[in-house]
Amino acid sequence: MTVSATATDVYLAAAPPAAAEAGGAILSNAWLLIALPLLGAAVLLLGGRRTDGWGHWLAVLLPLASFGWAVLALIELLGMDPADRSQTVPVYEWFSVGDFSAEVSLLLDPLSISFALLITGVGSLIHIYSIGYMAHDPGRRRFFGYLNLFLAAMLVLVLADNFVLLFLGWEGVGLASYLLIGFWQYKPAAAVAAKKAFLINRVGDLGLLIAIMIVFTTVGTVAFSGVFGAADEIGQGVLTAIGLLLLLGACGKSAQLPLQAWLLDAMEGPTPVSALIHAATMVTAGVYLIVRAGPIFEAAPAAQLTVAIVGAATLLAGAIIGCAKDDIKKALAGSTMSQIGYMVLAAGLGPIGYAAAIAHLITHGFFKAGLFLGAGSVMHGMNDEVDMRRYGGLRTAMPVTFATFGLCYLSIIGIPFFSGWWTKESIISATFAYGGVTGQILGGATLLGAGLTAFYMSRIMFLTFFGGKRWAEDAHPHESPASMTVPMVILAAGAVVLGAVLVYGYRFAEFLSPAVHHHAHEFDLAHMLTAPYSLAAIAVLVVGVAVAWLRYIRAEVPETAPKGNAITEAARNELYGNTINEELFMRPGQALTRAMVTIDDKVVDGLVNGVGTGTRDGSLSLRRLQTGFARTYALTMLFGAAIVVAILVVRF
Amino acid sequence: MIPLTDSAPAVLASPVITEQPPAIDYGLLSPMLVVFAAGVIAVLIEAFAPKAQRRSLQLGLALASVLGAFVLTVLQVGALPADEAGVTTALGSVAIDRPTLFLQGTILVLAFISLLLIAEQRSGESAFAAQAATVPGSEEERSHVLAGSQHTEVYPLVLFAVLGMQLFPASNDFLTMFIALEVMSLPLYLLCGLARRRRLFSQEAAVKYFLLGAFSSAFFLFGIALVYGYAGSVNFADINEAIGEGGSPLFAGTAEPLLLVGIAMIGVGLLFKIGAVPFHNWKPDVYQGAPTPITALMASAVLVAAFGALLRVFLMAFGASVEQWRPMLWVVAILTMVLAAVIAVTQRDIKRLLAYSSVVHAGFVLTAVIAASPEGLAGAMFYLAAYGFTTIGAFAVITLVRTHENGPEAADLAQWAGLGRTSPLLAGSLALFLLAFAGIPLTSGFIGKFAVFQAAVAAGATPLVVVGVLSSAVTAFFYVRIIVLMFFSEPEGSGPAVIRAGALTGSVIGIGVAATLLLGVYPTPVLDTMLPQPVGEEAEPTAADDGFTR
Amino acid sequence: MDPMNYILLASVLFTIGAAGVLVRRNAIIVFMCVELMLNACNLVFVAFARMHGDIEGQVIAFFVMIVAAAEVVVGLAIIMQIFRTRRSRRWMMPICSSTRRRRDSVCDCD
Repeated sequence: MTVSATATDVYLAAAPPAAAEAGGAILSNAWLLIALPLLGAAVLLLGGRRTDGWGHWLAVLLPLASFGWAVLALIELLGMDPADRSQTVPVYEWFSVGDFSAEVSLLLDPLSISFALLITGVGSLIHIYSIGYMAHDPGRRRFFGYLNLFLAAMLVLVLADNFVLLFLGWEGVGLASYLLIGFWQYKPAAAVAAKKAFLINRVGDLGLLIAIMIVFTTVGTVAFSGVFGAADEIGQGVLTAIGLLLLLGACGKSAQLPLQAWLLDAMEGPTPVSALIHAATMVTAGVYLIVRAGPIFEAAPAAQLTVAIVGAATLLAGAIIGCAKDDIKKALAGSTMSQIGYMVLAAGLGPIGYAAAIAHLITHGFFKAGLFLGAGSVMHGMNDEVDMRRYGGLRTAMPVTFATFGLCYLSIIGIPFFSGWWTKESIISATFAYGGVTGQILGGATLLGAGLTAFYMSRIMFLTFFGGKRWAEDAHPHESPASMTVPMVILAAGAVVLGAVLVYGYRFAEFLSPAVHHHAHEFDLAHMLTAPYSLAAIAVLVVGVAVAWLRYIRAEVPETAPKGNAITEAARNELYGNTINEELFMRPGQALTRAMVTIDDKVVDGLVNGVGTGTRDGSLSLRRLQTGFARTYALTMLFGAAIVVAILVVRF
Repeated sequence: MIPLTDSAPAVLASPVITEQPPAIDYGLLSPMLVVFAAGVIAVLIEAFAPKAQRRSLQLGLALASVLGAFVLTVLQVGALPADEAGVTTALGSVAIDRPTLFLQGTILVLAFISLLLIAEQRSGESAFAAQAATVPGSEEERSHVLAGSQHTEVYPLVLFAVLGMQLFPASNDFLTMFIALEVMSLPLYLLCGLARRRRLFSQEAAVKYFLLGAFSSAFFLFGIALVYGYAGSVNFADINEAIGEGGSPLFAGTAEPLLLVGIAMIGVGLLFKIGAVPFHNWKPDVYQGAPTPITALMASAVLVAAFGALLRVFLMAFGASVEQWRPMLWVVAILTMVLAAVIAVTQRDIKRLLAYSSVVHAGFVLTAVIAASPEGLAGAMFYLAAYGFTTIGAFAVITLVRTHENGPEAADLAQWAGLGRTSPLLAGSLALFLLAFAGIPLTSGFIGKFAVFQAAVAAGATPLVVVGVLSSAVTAFFYVRIIVLMFFSEPEGSGPAVIRAGALTGSVIGIGVAATLLLGVYPTPVLDTMLPQPVGEEAEPTAADDGFTR
Repeated sequence: MDPMNYILLASVLFTIGAAGVLVRRNAIIVFMCVELMLNACNLVFVAFARMHGDIEGQVIAFFVMIVAAAEVVVGLAIIMQIFRTRRSRRWMMPICSSTRRRRDSVCDCD
């Protein structure tokens, strides 16, 4: 990637997306994108058992229709002049009172439409997959209802044109995620995991909410265009505070340090949920938020650097956790953390990283969803076994799963010309192009992460599909039905070609430029292949795969995990994230609670309870006036009449 | 139809001998005439129809007439002249304008829903006494209960009350308004005393409501008499004009005390009907004692009618002396919002709690009356409609929750603990209604509060709004407490017994939920119909800048 | 004689009626006091009609009488009902709940 002297900063339309009124019929009816899955959720969840027979077909059809609408919207958007591609679509005026008017509007621009396509596209595939996967589950109708609800909420999140609507979607996906993690609520682990996800997300949500409140009190509006247009006029301190609070919100939703602990537990949910919500879409909402709020972060460099550092730390932490987990879904979850770390890091680099972050987000949506669906297919064939040490040699038993999983694997570890390579390479080069010592350190982290990725993904691959059979006695692995394999094939195809489509010639970056600040430069494939860090990336890739090959193909794999060294143990325990949470927050929290209770009893009671009991005593004594004697009532009325007459007649 | 230029002559002001019949536009009056005719027919049914068929006949007639009246009301909107606020008819005694039609439409819809609740029966047992004339607990009563006697007189009574409610906010002079007030109130006094369970409560409620109501009517009437003396007319437009001219020439401008005392006493009568502090005392006892479906009717439709009348009197008849009455309403509104909210905190009976909550809400609407602006009028009307639907829904839920199977309604809040576990749907509906009362966004209550407070701020009543917001914080506290109680408390014993909602009660709750959500999420169509249409900027000031016709 | 004297007389009657509502315990008497208040209003109407020289006030007085008659019908029904229940002439009984806990079905506070 050349960051040559000819590089020009293209700041289109001085920050805020120009709010042009929507043109065509497709765009102006963009509310349908949200309404369709919402309708599905309503029908399935309110319809009761009557919809058991056909409900899941409806639930598949509506997201597909929504996807079709998104494609049409994209075509219409592409037919417009690039400068006009930020369209504010008023849905309806919520209410208008006096001269105050609250409107609900959607923002359709290249960024939001990209997300809408990813959400509805991958979402539809996963819906189809779920038909097979959940075929024997008694709660299938409820499951599909929740999935549709999730899609609607996620679309609200990305299509909102103001922070409040975004927050509504944000809470909606949180709710759907909670319901789906705990879908098998009879499993205690699932119920606990759902609660944990809910609680940790509350912390992040609170950050986002406070950020929105600060924005509203300082700028007087919550619309994106108004807020970002005024970003330069806000004081540096306030901007940094807003940025850090937004980051906190993003960390909660995207499982970034220090709010990462819920994601691995969330794998208790059904696998399609892990694929859709906890890999492809919802967990990337944080990245969306950071990129969308780009103008705020650009004006607050301290907050922006924090974003990059958090991303780098998480990408390493996630990769290390991924290396040690034997549960295939938890290993993949660690990988998700790590990959989102890449995106957050890129988003924290500013204009040079936005396009790379979003491109990686989209390709990751495909290959990670493919990997999860593959894992689900394996579990489906292996009686829901999740321990990879009980797999092995499955490539012959499940050829389609093996092929699709393998292609996604090649993509994620970054074999040249696979999707993952294009987008990850963009992030690595953007990091080095950031310049200075910071750029070098962050770049080092991305390279190290690439090596770790190669190792842990190879480990999963080898343990599952190669080597000897370590199956349980009663395991009869078999290929999954077509409803499951077809989505996997489509996702694998995306994992192979999508990266080139997006990155080659920086087409995607150009496309995104009306929505996000973008740092344009010449595209140079030769440079992408021959730059020192590119070669280094390929080198660490080879090393990572080789180490995995030595340990899991050449050596015998024990069926139970051997005792590891300190690092392995730490990684197995998720880098003691839960312990840290307990020691750092739970224990002091409990101590604090106890202290507060004591203080409350001794000190605050005297003050607050004074007021409280004052009110209650007042209430009780007033209640005593309500004697039930009509005569007293009449007397009160007469007094009232006297007061009323006095106010009117007596002149001061 | 008397055109506006006729300046609406005072009723019988000039006793000219004429053979001309009075011009009455029956089309505009048709919604009221339909209900009136239905009421009369219902009395005949009561007299002549065989006992077995009475209930179905009465119910069908009542529902059909209320529905028909609603359709006719909607049709009148198109009949109004486009560039005027509305027209007066029947010799200037009835004003049909957009606020009137909106209020009448709201009253009819709310009355329709209440009728569904009134008609609900479970194994032949309705909410009303088998035979009200019997002594509670007597052998005679038992025999009537066993014989399955019913008071189908309830339906004509409700119809007459509805007629009064329709006329109350439409009346354009004080005589018509007084008649409307009595036509509305007298059937309600009777209906209050007809509860099937806890009949002593019910009878006491009726007698209290009756005596205090008559007492307040006397004040109302005395006020009218004084204003009549001051202005020489009871027509609203004439009174307004007379205020501008300093009163009737008879007194040469020295009669202002007559007017002021008159305004105060008329105010007492109207504030009693809306239940503002200190004229609120009847509300908790009556709401608690009356049969719950009647309480629902009173808390919704009657409140709408009373506020409609209050708005018309203060904005139109006394519109010219707004500076005189505004301080009075300030004091009443603050007393209402503060005292009622504080008293409500320690209530343990759910119906009494909702009664006090109704008082607080009346205080909120009063802030919009004080604004005395088109926005205030629109805000108040929206608030009333939204509150009406929500409160009927809440009372419908109350009818279903019993102390035990076949027991009376579970009045004590402690008995509501754990309702969220046994019947989540019912508890969820009530939680929604309570959140709407508290004014949480995405419910109708939020939009209503926003509308009235915004109007008040625009009119410079910011301190009042501050009091209102603080008061709504206090009310939110006890609403949320009920929700916590329902969902997170351990029930006493086996918890409350919930009887299955019949089709009628179920649809009432459903309508309540739908309206509460719909008016919260998409209120624009309703808000738009209420504001005076801005047709031609220059036509605005003449065509009644408050949206009322003159 | 100054017609304003009639207004003063009516005000005195109105006050007597209001005072009666407050001090009397018998519901029938209380109700009669309310009627007295209404008739005081009638006097005001008629007096003002005379002063203004139109008949509007007089017509209103007739209407008020009719309304008062209707009120008597309803009021007596309600009062008789509770009299039969209570067999007592005190109408100012407190509603039970506000002073003591109610029982479930029929409340018998007496």
